[in-house]
Amino acid sequence: MYDFKFHNPDSLAAALESCSQAEDGQFMAGGQTMIPVMKQRLSMPSDVIDLGSVEDLKGISVADGVVSIGAMTTHALVAADGDVQRAIPVLAALAGGIGDPHVRNRGTLGGSIANNDPAADYPAALLALGANVHTDRRQIAADDFFTGMFETALEEGELAIRVDFPVPKAAGYAKFGNPASRYAMVGVFVSQGSDGVRVAVTGAAPCVFRISEMEKALSNNFSPAAIKDMTVPAADLNNDIHASAEYRAHLIGVMAARAVGDAILREGAA
Amino acid sequence: MSVPEIGQSLPRTEDERFLTGQGNYIDDINLDGQAHAVVVRSTHAHARINAIDVAQALALDGVLLVVTPDDWKKEGFGPMPTKTAIRKGKNDMDLAEPPRHCLAMDKVRYVGEPVALVVAETAAIAIEAAELVDIDYVSLDVVVDPKKALIDGAPQLWDDIANNLCLDFELGDAAATQAAFDKADHVVTLEVFNNRVTAVPIEPRGAVASYSPETDSYLLYNATQNVHANRDTFAESVLGIEKEKLHHIAPDVGGGFGVKNGAYPEPPLILYASKRLGRAVKWINTRSESFVGDTHGRGQDSTVELALNKDGKFIALRTTTIGAIGAFCWTVGPFTPTGGSARTQGGPYGFEAMYYQAKAVFTNTHPMDPYRGAGRPEGSFQIERVVEKAARELGFDPVELRRLNLIPRDALPLKTPMGLDVDCGDFPEVFERTLKLSDRAGFDARLAASREKRLRRGFAIAPYLECTGGGPKEFAGVTFVENGTVDLAVGSQSTGMGHETAMPQILAANLGLPFDDIRYHQADTDKTPIGGGHGGSRNLEVGGSAVLQAAGEVIEKGKVLAAHIFETTPEKITFEDGAFAEPGTNHSMTMREIIDASFDPLTLPDGMEPGGLNVGSTFERGIISVPNGCHAAEVEVDPETGKINIDGYWVVDDFGTIINPMLADGQVMGGVAQGIGQALMEEAYYEEDTGQLVTGSLIDYALPRADDIPNMVLAFYEDAPTAKNPLGVKGAGEAGCCGAPPAVVNAVLDALKDYGIENISMPLTPEKVWRAIHAKG
Repeated sequence: MYDFKFHNPDSLAAALESCSQAEDGQFMAGGQTMIPVMKQRLSMPSDVIDLGSVEDLKGISVADGVVSIGAMTTHALVAADGDVQRAIPVLAALAGGIGDPHVRNRGTLGGSIANNDPAADYPAALLALGANVHTDRRQIAADDFFTGMFETALEEGELAIRVDFPVPKAAGYAKFGNPASRYAMVGVFVSQGSDGVRVAVTGAAPCVFRISEMEKALSNNFSPAAIKDMTVPAADLNNDIHASAEYRAHLIGVMAARAVGDAILREGAA
Repeated sequence: MSVPEIGQSLPRTEDERFLTGQGNYIDDINLDGQAHAVVVRSTHAHARINAIDVAQALALDGVLLVVTPDDWKKEGFGPMPTKTAIRKGKNDMDLAEPPRHCLAMDKVRYVGEPVALVVAETAAIAIEAAELVDIDYVSLDVVVDPKKALIDGAPQLWDDIANNLCLDFELGDAAATQAAFDKADHVVTLEVFNNRVTAVPIEPRGAVASYSPETDSYLLYNATQNVHANRDTFAESVLGIEKEKLHHIAPDVGGGFGVKNGAYPEPPLILYASKRLGRAVKWINTRSESFVGDTHGRGQDSTVELALNKDGKFIALRTTTIGAIGAFCWTVGPFTPTGGSARTQGGPYGFEAMYYQAKAVFTNTHPMDPYRGAGRPEGSFQIERVVEKAARELGFDPVELRRLNLIPRDALPLKTPMGLDVDCGDFPEVFERTLKLSDRAGFDARLAASREKRLRRGFAIAPYLECTGGGPKEFAGVTFVENGTVDLAVGSQSTGMGHETAMPQILAANLGLPFDDIRYHQADTDKTPIGGGHGGSRNLEVGGSAVLQAAGEVIEKGKVLAAHIFETTPEKITFEDGAFAEPGTNHSMTMREIIDASFDPLTLPDGMEPGGLNVGSTFERGIISVPNGCHAAEVEVDPETGKINIDGYWVVDDFGTIINPMLADGQVMGGVAQGIGQALMEEAYYEEDTGQLVTGSLIDYALPRADDIPNMVLAFYEDAPTAKNPLGVKGAGEAGCCGAPPAVVNAVLDALKDYGIENISMPLTPEKVWRAIHAKG
């Protein structure tokens, strides 16, 4: 790890101020990606601004059909939150399936989406649920937020404050984990909400993406049968030692159908 | 605590220390004034070193020393020799052994090969300085596949070793085997790939060294499995000093599995640095470095041919293997694909003739050394896979075909065509017990339930035959301390297996002393004159036997003392239930009373000094034992994704006498877990063109986790203690790795039998299974 200046602000204003003063400052949420990367000397921020003491960034509220989660809320808290479990049960389940207990107790929603790892779970949830990311200066729709591999619409020094998830009629998630890392090799999140059906895929490509053909088919008939035999082109998908692009393309179909099944099952149970 | 018994599941006394953070592992060792070392490792798989510029590194504040290959040449330090027992091949060919120095001389031959050592005031400074060592490489062509390495025109690793061939080995009777094939009704042939894996012990390697100018001697703490053998290599072969000048200690070691057996380059490097700097030097490997800096195992390509007559009786077996050994011979690397896999060929089945041949081949990959089983799991996989194929191809029931060919009990003892001395056991009985345990009767209901879930279900049974190995001699020293403690020092070594429990258990049970009286010592060249360390499932049969022998010698001395006190002769003294007695009299003293008496000069006979019951006893094994057993697995496969779930796992093992069943269970479970890892998940994968290790971290190297491993039902067959050692034990440490890969792979192929899949090479990843199902090449 290279040397850096450490800041531990206790307010949002102080955090933003620290970052703006720094030569190459970086916010730290749970640090579950950032610290290993720094330890491998692959990144060398001049200043690390730890958001752990900024209380304004934490917490969960559910009101008026919106689940609102503070950026510094850990995966473990989302997974265990009764309000989230009632409003969008699959979102709690998704959070409970990220990494391992250690990661879930440190890792946060804001850290996950700002990092935008191509295999992370949360980006699929945001995109499929049509969530909105509130930052210190504006509101960004999930469709505009995730712009590329490890890239987001966040500007230099801009900080995600919270994410608002509209409560869907039904939603499901199916993940096929990488056997080594257990990140999503293919994860498909499906939701049926007021503005239609949305299908978002993580793990399979450099960045989370939607499948409009499946969304159309599911809008007419929200059942696994509606997307049976529907394929996606392998051309733009990831290809590595764990899964070829062709296999990922196949898994997208399987996981999408299972996600729809999961959504129907959860709706029935509600 | 009371006197323990043999066969009692005494809880592991070391666990409280380990589980509460009180263990004393290598990174817990800190010597006064120590500096910190980091190894500069090759980033190229094959390259000439033009120049090494250390100026920038040395200029960094806090850097003390950069050791380069030039230092090594100037000092005239020697290479580390291989100690493989197999040194001759076909036509009396000698093993080709290139010199293995601690630093790459002129050329690098694998990614991770040490090129220089940086020593600094802190580890952080050393890491930074290591990045500043500027090495000018000229890339050379790379070969990582041993089959390609043998072809004319392939990149050559060593100028004087043609076609990268280290050794062309054979065992068995080629002509008799051919004759048997000629008369056979059926011949079944299978290509079998045994994937390259690495052990990933939870504690990475590390060492701390210091030098004393007063005595001109060294002290080395090292996370190794073998302090004596590696001391000899470091002192005599590398540094050119007397071995007595190097005191070598292994503190608590967090897992070995063979990967910590051998002589690694880093300890001599820091020994040298500590003398040059006049201060202690510490070096700790990172996890990432461990992937490119620890030895790998397995990595064999084999063609297996099985000859049968028309009723399914096996006649002959012929195996032809190409085994990668990496860029050097390492410590015993060439042994694994040759002698290691040859000895247990054919498993527990009867054959008229067998022939095994193997080429050990150099490649631009990390060198190989033992990994749990070191050749026997490969052999076990070969026979069980070809038997399964024969059953399917020729229309036999796989269970029946095995049952027909198991060596019957009354055929023992026998010598196999590979020369293995199989003295005792009951293979058919162990096989039947395993079948019974696995609830075959309930299979159809479970199959139907799986079909409901649109899953496939399969079953396989895999008997195995193992043999032990490792150093044949072991020392046990028993020293009585006047405060009542008994010090037991043994030259074998635990890396977490529980010797601290099992070995005192043997001594206490035989002397009739409470377990808590005994303090266990291991892995210290000053505490035992010899020691064979850990490896080849040798501890109980060699080390445990040494303890038993030492206990016997203590009892003989105790009889002399008792006879003196009872005013009679030693022949008249008995020792039973922890007491010395003279039958027919009321003379009786407990072991504890005799020990106390041995410290009283007034009660001692002539020639016995106070503390005269102490013994130092060396046991030498005659013939290696032959552990055997049987595994069975039931799996579910999701044909949509190729994902495999192991739904049932059963094992019956014949390890002879069981000293501590709980520890033996632990050995089986650990071995099975590693076998499952190899079968389904693990592969050390090198990129073909560059020789880069793609699976260089746990993000890409798929190590199984607890929820990848099924619950297991374990049992022991204890009716055949071996007479090859006085304890009657057969080594338990590596057996799990022999049974699990064939049981799991054959069960998966059974689940998929409707698809007509002949083979899927390990590891059976979801994608490979899915491709096989959907016939995508």
